[in-house]
Amino acid sequence: MSKPAGSRRAPIGRRDFLKYSAAGMAGAAALGRVRAGLAAGRPIEFSIWSAAVDTVKSHLTAFEAKTGLSVNLSTAPWAQYRETLVTKFVGGAPLDTLWVSDSWLPEWAEAGWLSPVGDFPQLTAYNSDVDDFCVKSMTYNGQQYGITYYSDWMGFLYNEEMLSKAGITTPPESWDQVTEQALKIRQAGLAEYPVLLSFAQETWLIEFISAMVFSQGGRLVDDKNVAVMADPEHGAVKALRWAVDAVQKHKIVSPACVETGELAGLKAFGSGQFAFGLIPKYRLRTLNDPAQSQIPGKAKLMLMPRGDKGAHATVGWMRFYGLTSQARKDKARSAAAVQLMEWFGGKADGDYRFQKLLFLDVGAAFGVKSLFQDPEMRKAYQAFGDVDLIAKQQALAMKKDVVAPWFGEWNDLNGAAWQAAVVGKSTPEEALKRSADKWTELKKNA
Amino acid sequence: MTEDRIGRSGFWFLASGFRYDTRTAWLFLSPVMAVLGAVTVFPILYSLYISFFSLKLTRPQRVPFVGLDNYLQVVQDDVFWDAVARTALFTVVSVTAVALIALLIALLLDQSFRGRRLLGALLLVPWAIPSVANGLMWKWIYDSHYGALNGLLLQLGAIAHYLPWLGDPHKTLLLIANAFVWKEVPLAAILILVTMKAIPADLYRAATVDGANKLQRFLHITLPSLRPGLMLVVVYVAMVAIRQFDLIFLLTEGGPAQASQVMAWQIYVETFRNLSFGTGAALSYILALATFALAYFIIRTLGQRL
Repeated sequence: MSKPAGSRRAPIGRRDFLKYSAAGMAGAAALGRVRAGLAAGRPIEFSIWSAAVDTVKSHLTAFEAKTGLSVNLSTAPWAQYRETLVTKFVGGAPLDTLWVSDSWLPEWAEAGWLSPVGDFPQLTAYNSDVDDFCVKSMTYNGQQYGITYYSDWMGFLYNEEMLSKAGITTPPESWDQVTEQALKIRQAGLAEYPVLLSFAQETWLIEFISAMVFSQGGRLVDDKNVAVMADPEHGAVKALRWAVDAVQKHKIVSPACVETGELAGLKAFGSGQFAFGLIPKYRLRTLNDPAQSQIPGKAKLMLMPRGDKGAHATVGWMRFYGLTSQARKDKARSAAAVQLMEWFGGKADGDYRFQKLLFLDVGAAFGVKSLFQDPEMRKAYQAFGDVDLIAKQQALAMKKDVVAPWFGEWNDLNGAAWQAAVVGKSTPEEALKRSADKWTELKKNA
Repeated sequence: MTEDRIGRSGFWFLASGFRYDTRTAWLFLSPVMAVLGAVTVFPILYSLYISFFSLKLTRPQRVPFVGLDNYLQVVQDDVFWDAVARTALFTVVSVTAVALIALLIALLLDQSFRGRRLLGALLLVPWAIPSVANGLMWKWIYDSHYGALNGLLLQLGAIAHYLPWLGDPHKTLLLIANAFVWKEVPLAAILILVTMKAIPADLYRAATVDGANKLQRFLHITLPSLRPGLMLVVVYVAMVAIRQFDLIFLLTEGGPAQASQVMAWQIYVETFRNLSFGTGAALSYILALATFALAYFIIRTLGQRL
């Protein structure tokens, strides 16, 4: 039936309907064949945060050339990585292997997104050559979930020149000595606030806090996940008391520490304003680089100061290659992913090639013990630090004890509680009780 | 069917023999309405839906229906009420400061003097700066190690050493409000100035003949005539202030010691850090209701008096 032009479109007739339907079905069938074809030669889906991307790509190219496997690399900024990956997991996006932070392991393992790797001996074989805190940081509920990507720890650094000007020949051994020497430096007019603490509310804060607590011989949480931070015998109270006194009583730490983040602290230390600083160890290279620092060659590492019951311990952290549960369900996929994980986290052609590339290119530290004996690595380390002292401190690093499925929620409140004590809004005891209560509540509700 | 009936009942005429031009209008509007429905209406309704579930993204296997529990949990938490108090303080301080400063600037720009146009153009600069750039600029100004504010005050001899501005929990919120006011004043001043320009000059002339002085002319002619402009400014600034997030994120991340943890920041932490979408959505709806209530209150009370 015809209609006047411009009034109404002609309805689709029965023949047209059948014709379009047939065409649609043929198209869908063709698409299905394409999908099946893609699945057969499917690349390994590898996700990382945006760090050392060029180094990763060059090592990936070598992997693809050697194995004939193809890899699809996707990156996301570190600041949004966790949220991006969680969204991908929930949305069922294809993922085989990825970089994982130790802080997220319990959460992702509990959600069933990561798969244990205990039955892949090609990955677990490296455990004996890796620092103890690294293996522990990749382990949750007795299961290992990956292979090392990089690891580092919190170091206590000093400005050798400033100490020398103050007539101090030996760096402090204990927190009490840090106070004494800092007061001496302050009285000499060399620094207004000689000690740098970066206590801003950011992701680094828990590492700064843990390092101070561990060096006191303490713990925040015991092996049974019971909060012990409010217990005066477990070091956290002493650590926070020291920080509070340093700010309010001795005035050797700036009250601005609560707005100083890790990066701002690094810049401030590099400008020569401080005698001592709690700083991630890998920053030693930057601080001794004339192109990036005003104190090149003067930033030195010492063992963490210890408390009455402490033994120079510090906190270590770990980033590792994890295997996804979706990859694990498919034998071919998991085999390819594990091959890639070993190529990066273990040995490639008989050598820890990627660990070395990372360290030499961008200064990212490693948890592989034998690399401390490698002449090339020793030479590179020696250019900005005492390699034997670094190895000694690394052996005293401990994993973060607060990593649990509820870590994120507790961490915000804990950071605020420490800040409240530092700015004088509460006592250390009150702050730590608040933190412990929150931990207990979250654990109960988990 | 009359035009009036078409205007009142959209769906009714779709099902009947409606006019060609009306039908064509709906046809052209429908793609936009479909897009708006998909990207605005659906998310709003869906977020209301998930606010009744214990939806935590990291616990995808267990999403129980909890009814109003998320709302109850939120309002029973002291942290929430602390955030409400800070939001209220931030809003009151910001709105008052913006309205007063904008009024003074509008009064100045309403005068005839040399350079008035240049001043008016310069006034718009803070408003033209993107929010993130504005936040970063104030971060530099307030920085305790190298900030311009410390440098200036030290050179003027007002302080003996650098002070931790944002690190002081007693000052933090007011300093953030200061950065907010700096950005919002220009638009507010322009809105008030436009209203001011619309006041008939005859009123002032008549008042002058009657012996009214400047203050009396301001109180009895200018201020009452500015009611529409001031209302708009107060409602707009209050709605922006109550939802302020950018400056908090860039300057303090809610710290120190939660001193700048306002409601919008709490929603961000709950939703995007804790990935608790259920309680995050509940918090968002509480904030939305509070915003509507505040706007309604301002219009009903202040609007009557001005």
